[in-house]
Amino acid sequence: MDDRVIIRFNHVTKQYDDDLPVLDDVSFDIERGKFYTLLGPSGCGKTTILRLIAGFIEPTKGDIYFHGQRINHVPSNKRRVNTVFQDYALFPHLNVFENVAFGLRIKKIPKADIERKVKEALRFVNLEGYEQRAIHEMSGGQRQRVAIARAIVNEPDVLLLDEPLSALDLKLRTEMQYELRELQRRLGITFIFVTHDQEEALAMSDEIFVLNKGKIEQRGTPKDIYDEPVNRFVADFIGESNIIVGTMIDDFVVEFANQQFTCVDYGFSKNEQVDIVIRPEDLELTTAELGKLRVRVDSVLFRGVHYELCCYDAYGNEWLVHSTKKAEIGEEIGLHFEPEAIHVMKRSGGE
Amino acid sequence: MKVARLYLAFVFFVLYMPIFYLIYYSFNSGGTMHHFESFTLDWYKDVFDDTRLLVIVLHTVIVALLSSSLATIIGVLGAIAIYYAKHRWKQTLLTLNNILIVSPDVIIGASFLILFTIAGIQLGFTSVLLSHIAFSIPIVVLMVLPKLQEMSPTLIDAARDLGANEWNVLTKVVLPYVTPGIFAGFFMALTYSLDDFAVTFFVTGNGFSTLSVEIYSRARQGISLSVNALSTLLFLFTLLLVVVYYIITQRTSAKGGQK
Repeated sequence: MDDRVIIRFNHVTKQYDDDLPVLDDVSFDIERGKFYTLLGPSGCGKTTILRLIAGFIEPTKGDIYFHGQRINHVPSNKRRVNTVFQDYALFPHLNVFENVAFGLRIKKIPKADIERKVKEALRFVNLEGYEQRAIHEMSGGQRQRVAIARAIVNEPDVLLLDEPLSALDLKLRTEMQYELRELQRRLGITFIFVTHDQEEALAMSDEIFVLNKGKIEQRGTPKDIYDEPVNRFVADFIGESNIIVGTMIDDFVVEFANQQFTCVDYGFSKNEQVDIVIRPEDLELTTAELGKLRVRVDSVLFRGVHYELCCYDAYGNEWLVHSTKKAEIGEEIGLHFEPEAIHVMKRSGGE
Repeated sequence: MKVARLYLAFVFFVLYMPIFYLIYYSFNSGGTMHHFESFTLDWYKDVFDDTRLLVIVLHTVIVALLSSSLATIIGVLGAIAIYYAKHRWKQTLLTLNNILIVSPDVIIGASFLILFTIAGIQLGFTSVLLSHIAFSIPIVVLMVLPKLQEMSPTLIDAARDLGANEWNVLTKVVLPYVTPGIFAGFFMALTYSLDDFAVTFFVTGNGFSTLSVEIYSRARQGISLSVNALSTLLFLFTLLLVVVYYIITQRTSAKGGQK
């Protein structure tokens, strides 16, 4: 086994009673020192993966390896993994110092070392001087940091973060995104971050796993996933996009909205039904005569950095456009786009 | 509003009237409860001179402390067992627990009497202690279980995650978390044991008595105002316990109030 691999899931299934599996035959490798994000809607199995790694639950089928050792039945207190919980799970009867020291005290580490390590961990999360505070005296963001300090003080090989930012307000959340990313770089350990927020995932990760219904739909760098979604679900989940049905006429030629366009995709069979994705920011506003597509503006929203235009073409397809230019409702406009902006995907069954 | 307040005052007046009546005459030198002659502490002196009574007080306190301590230990373990029980058992166990609290003391007392007779346990200190433990356990469970249920289950996950084994989880997380409930349960059990009459009356034998039973038999024998004095002392002691209980719950709720 490649010694950069730290966690390996081998055909892992988790099922409760006779319900549908929450995790369905999933295999993947996690490498040392990277920032991973498990992204998906609620109930997609992302938290289940985290709980399997932490050891709170055991897989129904398949094997989990940690440093090459099978750990299916190793209890959570024997794993070199620590978790930052969604509700922080700080101990209300202990102060900040004792919360952070909890793991070290259990390991019976000498007092002087505990003192030093706890101080260091609190410095890491910018909470120096808060040692004696009670948990209920701390704000949401501060509790968050205490929870992180409590986890990293144990020097885990992998840090698991279960939607840790979801309870914070927008400004604090963005701030913590930077801090977490920075923390991961400084510590150099593997972070596995669970979220349903695609912006968060794109901003922070080295690699994203997009999950749906207990399966991994796609894994890759944020850029891969944003630019080259493999199917309709991923394209829809990651950012806003225009997804319409088209036909692949030939290599580099695709037809949609009753017109043929040059594109950069190939390798499909002739006349294959495909899904087309064009991101709203790749569509440019021009006059009706100059545009590749002719659409009518249905609604305009001012979003601060740009206008969000909702338009319809003559065939009833909806086109979402992000533009710095404004258009009037009811106006006929043209849309221009480059061949690279068209992304062709295989049709996923059913949807 | 005014009527409501008057009504409330009236209700409390009716409730506390007999007690204050009793306390008032415990200072009467006349020896009866219908004509106040002059102030005296003689009856209190009588109480403190009565060695038999002091022994009974001692017994009562010992039984109360022992039974509430043991009931607290058993009750806490029981509450934890119910907390971890499978969902469909949980409700059943809780209902069985609550039935014991609401069922009449006379029935419990009588059934204990039958049980101890069959089991061949001599009526006296042991039988009183055992029955007090038995009726205190459900009270402790009732005070501790809500605290357990209010605890987020991720706290236990977090403790395990940080390396805690089952024992650590219990001693370092669960028990400290439910401590206010444990104290509340202990004090409730203590007051229940101290003033229990019905159950104790059934299971106490010759030569062993608790204060409530003693007061009852003295009150029946005829009027002596030393009974009033004794009752007054008991009332004040109970009041003290309530105050202590109140302070403890106030302090813990102030601590956890801002969560």
